[in-house]
Amino acid sequence: MIRVSQRGISHVLVSVLGWSCLLFASSVFGMAMPPQKPTQSVAAGSNAVMLKADDLRAAPDSKSTLLLRVEKGAQVRLQVSQGGWSQISSAGYTGWVRVLSVRIQSKDGIELSDLGALGKKPQGNVVAVAGTRGLDEKQLGLVSYDAAEVERLRSYVIGRQEAEQYAQAAGLHARDMSYIAAPNQ
Amino acid sequence: MTGFGTVTHKGMSNMKPGFLWFVAVGTVFGMFGASLVQADDLNDLFKGYLKSKIAPPAQEQPVTASAPATQEVSADKPADQLLKALMGGNVSEQEEVRIGQQIAGNLLGAAPLVRDDGLQRYVNRVGRWVALQTERPDLNWHFGVIESDDLNAFAAPGGYIFLTKGLYQRLNSEAELAGVLGHEIGHVLRKHHLKLLQKSQGIAAIGGLLGRKLKNEHEVVQNLIGNGAEVVARGLDKDAEYEADRIGLVLSARAGYDAYALPAVLAEIGHVAKDDKRVSLLFKTHPLPEDRLSHLSDAVADTLDALPEGQSGTGRFYRLR
Repeated sequence: MIRVSQRGISHVLVSVLGWSCLLFASSVFGMAMPPQKPTQSVAAGSNAVMLKADDLRAAPDSKSTLLLRVEKGAQVRLQVSQGGWSQISSAGYTGWVRVLSVRIQSKDGIELSDLGALGKKPQGNVVAVAGTRGLDEKQLGLVSYDAAEVERLRSYVIGRQEAEQYAQAAGLHARDMSYIAAPNQ
Repeated sequence: MTGFGTVTHKGMSNMKPGFLWFVAVGTVFGMFGASLVQADDLNDLFKGYLKSKIAPPAQEQPVTASAPATQEVSADKPADQLLKALMGGNVSEQEEVRIGQQIAGNLLGAAPLVRDDGLQRYVNRVGRWVALQTERPDLNWHFGVIESDDLNAFAAPGGYIFLTKGLYQRLNSEAELAGVLGHEIGHVLRKHHLKLLQKSQGIAAIGGLLGRKLKNEHEVVQNLIGNGAEVVARGLDKDAEYEADRIGLVLSARAGYDAYALPAVLAEIGHVAKDDKRVSLLFKTHPLPEDRLSHLSDAVADTLDALPEGQSGTGRFYRLR
């Protein structure tokens, strides 16, 4: 009984010490604690836009704390992506959304494709292509069968065994996964 | 060539709206005659097949490496058989491959393979490994990178898959390559282009000529696919593209790659200005990358949550010089 309580006390002491050290370290090195609360430090990252509404969560896990609902089309800052999750900042919060919910607008923060053009149809009838031969429908309609190239193509074909050997050497392992159905609209 | 011209004009007597299209195609054919020049080359290819039909014991011409020749005894000429199969929707694998080869050869006539053996072998290894994760693992899958600055990828029936050098150079990892190839493999699996051809107005018109003017299989195939490789520039249904995206993502995940690599490619393509000539055909024949990403996102939802992280294969990715 006594031994147990002693152990309990020492455990509490160690925990307190541990947390103090961590707090001390973070204050000394200016490290922020995990983003549980709104933070204004959103300078890093890239401009991004929400492709769909999603829950902003405290950690890259669908069971972690819900911080905020981010609406479709919201402009956010994207910090990093890992696995199926992207860390973003929105409305003063920093947290995680599903990687497929957010689309980076450019790598360096400068938007390349005009956001206003989203959803609009691209300009049609652009057929002139500089440089190598173009692949527009007119030119594709005027070509003829190239038997020599088909033969060359065939020479690169590999069999099942070679593909399996390649995967094995690369450490690629086949996984079971069902096809994904079309979303219900 | 003249044979084809005569046929079209003769057919004008029972003209239907669909037939106009066919006639238009025929007119272009007549004017340029480009696609029919190749008939000589191709006739050689198909001669063996025709011979085998006329004289069965003769040595089989290896038109396709994988599919065995159809052994069914029929009074029909091969051309008629193919047409009937297409019209009835029962295209054998051998016939599917023959159509795909014709389209592939025409596409290569527009843009030849990049002269880099290492690259082509690499793409075939990755592509075949991804294709092994499908319900058609033993199809004789062909993969190639073609000489073009465009950003695009193509699939033809029977397992012919191409991507442009321009698109390849935009990729950052083997997982992204696997995703792109997986999307095209999806088109082959679901026979999207074959169905497009079967639905096309031209087939009914050609069907009307059954057993008459179209002498050989080559003419049937070439007439069916229209001019040259124009068929690959014909857009598929949007849903077919969304479906291919879902399949591409699943196949690359099955193959052990990062499932999010294909969406990353779509996002990357979305960064190209919409009026950039290098994406004009791509955007004309596909939904915009933003829409594709949205659909993929809705479809995937939480299905990948339990999936362990896959490989990106960035270190192995074959860089073009």
